[in-house]
Amino acid sequence: MSGDDPSTDGDSPPDPGDGERATESDGDASASDSRWDAARRRLVRLGQTSVGERVLIALSALVLSMAVGTVIVLVAGVLATCRDPALTIGGSTLCYDPFFVFDRLFLGALGDPFAGGWSPLNNQFAATLRETTILVFTGLSVALAFRAGIFNIGTQGQLVVGALASALAVLWTASLVSGTLALVTLIPVGLLAGALGGGFYGAIPGALKAYADANEVITTIMLNFVATLVTRYLVRNHFADPTSQATQTRTLPDAGQFPAILFDPRTDFSILALLLALAFVGGVYYLLEHTSFGYDLRTAGIQPAAAEYGGVNAPRTVLSSLTLSGALAGVGGALFVMMTLGKFQTGIPSYGFDGITVSILAGNNPIGAVFAAFLFGVLKSGSNVVSFATNVPPQLVGVLRGLIILFVAMPEFFRLIGRRLAAGDPESGTAVTAGGGADD
Amino acid sequence: MTDDGLVDSLRSASGRLLIAGVAVLALLVLGVAGLVAPDSTAGRLFFVLASKSTLAATLRLSVPIVFAALGGIFAEKSGVINIGLEGLLIISAFSAIYGADVTGSLWAGFFVGILSSTLLAALFAVVCIEFRADQIIAGLAVWLIALGLAPFASSVFYGGPNTTNVGTLDTITIEGLASIPFFGAFFDASPAVHLMLIAVLVSWYVLNRTTFGRWVRAAGENPKALDTAGVDVSRVRYAAVLLSGVLSGMGGAALAFNIGQFTGNGPTMVNGKGFIAIVAYLFGNYNPVGALLSTALFAGLDATQLRLQTADVIAVPDSLVQTIPFVAVILVLALVGRTRLPEAAGDHYESGEE
Repeated sequence: MSGDDPSTDGDSPPDPGDGERATESDGDASASDSRWDAARRRLVRLGQTSVGERVLIALSALVLSMAVGTVIVLVAGVLATCRDPALTIGGSTLCYDPFFVFDRLFLGALGDPFAGGWSPLNNQFAATLRETTILVFTGLSVALAFRAGIFNIGTQGQLVVGALASALAVLWTASLVSGTLALVTLIPVGLLAGALGGGFYGAIPGALKAYADANEVITTIMLNFVATLVTRYLVRNHFADPTSQATQTRTLPDAGQFPAILFDPRTDFSILALLLALAFVGGVYYLLEHTSFGYDLRTAGIQPAAAEYGGVNAPRTVLSSLTLSGALAGVGGALFVMMTLGKFQTGIPSYGFDGITVSILAGNNPIGAVFAAFLFGVLKSGSNVVSFATNVPPQLVGVLRGLIILFVAMPEFFRLIGRRLAAGDPESGTAVTAGGGADD
Repeated sequence: MTDDGLVDSLRSASGRLLIAGVAVLALLVLGVAGLVAPDSTAGRLFFVLASKSTLAATLRLSVPIVFAALGGIFAEKSGVINIGLEGLLIISAFSAIYGADVTGSLWAGFFVGILSSTLLAALFAVVCIEFRADQIIAGLAVWLIALGLAPFASSVFYGGPNTTNVGTLDTITIEGLASIPFFGAFFDASPAVHLMLIAVLVSWYVLNRTTFGRWVRAAGENPKALDTAGVDVSRVRYAAVLLSGVLSGMGGAALAFNIGQFTGNGPTMVNGKGFIAIVAYLFGNYNPVGALLSTALFAGLDATQLRLQTADVIAVPDSLVQTIPFVAVILVLALVGRTRLPEAAGDHYESGEE
């Protein structure tokens, strides 16, 4: 590799010699010429910390981001002008009450479990589960790529392409079949088309990374923009619903939409879709932990050089993991079309970016992704309750999304606090070390 | 490994040459077409490209990208990969408008924009340097925080993701010089354009000709040596990341004052410019002047597509034409491939840890 010489300038600081330099690099000189390898190693190490510590860090990150969120709501409440203030503290009036906001965000999303007469089938809880279902897929998509050492920021674009592919495939198939045949074919066709569309769109950055060394963070972000623009063009110019002003396709026939069972059909939630999501979680877990492909994928993520030495075809692993990752996002898009909307419409919510937070919060673990997705389902559905019940802008959830990623990314911060606590209060200190010391 | 490095650098060099060659060749072909057959599509395309207003639009569109790219160069040269440039642009674009709205002065707003972006960069620096967070994930977090915070704040103060209009910066026009064909655009431009050109030269000078610039490069290439020489690596990295906040702040503020308003729907008005900036400085090989030139390529394509839509030369739906800059970025990355980055970029440096 190039660049053992720190600089060609004669007056640059002296080079202390290779022996010492090796100690501060991570000891893997062969991988250090790659742009993101150092970051990747830490990323994978993030997933290697013990389960107890990971859960503790995730929970601490959550609490901390809620605390920062509270401060933001308070400050915004002071700065905003409104007709009837929600809170008065020491003579100054605040437009927003942060405690009421978080009450609505969490309890509201569950349909007020403490209010009496609560049923798990209530409409707001259904909305929460509906969001959770899609987020499980985007979370799995990001997690699968992360485990292979790939940053797939393009889950959003893959979901959008999968959604359109699914809507078009269902509409086209519906023109050929009817009756019982439609009932048994349309949904599988839609899911398959979503997976193929998303998989194809994930394969593009996969091939670019595998065979042209193009960094996937940038290519996937660029492809998100391209996906939005191209689907807008396709729907507007070729597949538009002539009866609507919005940029959308025609509505899918009933046989092409997930049936509402148990829950109110108006909530657009189907328990079948959630079960399908859980089946995918099991599938991805099995693929990662119990198949040779999963082993190759994880090895490529942890030790690319060792994986290659051990006979793993690195480019092919990159290509197939990004394709699979895209396919998972595409199925999420298919569900959004066949369950939530009943058609394709431009301006799909940013499930892909939420998927990044879901995956990072879950330590890139498929099972953990279910819990993280449910948490984000609560936040997304709760933000609607918040904007209904208060005048706090619903974009607050977007801020929380970023804060959670930031805090999960700095485990050192929590370890520091843990050590401080341990120094002052022996009891909580042991809890932290016990969590951190256990190996899984 | 030496072979790989050589092959890589040869490939990226040939990739750069190829792109530059194709761009020049395309212009030549269009130029010939313009002379031979001015009424053909290619000929009309050449006159669109060679017009003063296309250059003016290119310069205007370059401003936020170049500022962010300069910031990215300082941060990455010092060993901190700042992928959150997009977030810095978003937060400064909103704050600049808010500041201008509250104070009534565009230049005060400009300062508020720089301040907010620098604060966010400081948070990023603390998280990366002090708490040893993963730089890529922390950078993504900076982007997503700004992507949520700016529309949130806009809704708090203006009742929606879009702010009010506070007006734009007056253009500086030098009579006489402004009427020069094509290049007259330089003398009939927003002060932000001139500020950008100055910032490119100053950045080049600081990086290559000053002690601070040497420290920044050493912090990224060989932090151990810098430490041995008695310079605090963390402080150099803090300074470089804060500088990336200042520069991106100028870019975001200039972007917002270009239309006088912040629009926060979807990807906001920044719309990927921070990520394009990263590719611009990679393609420009961490050289400020190189970053300016590669930005001019992307912004030039963007300006051309905007002009094509108004000039009605080729009938292509705007959604598709709008993908051109993004596709160009992907193609450039694929052709240039792996770039030679500072040795210690992405690594933490722990002083005194043996």
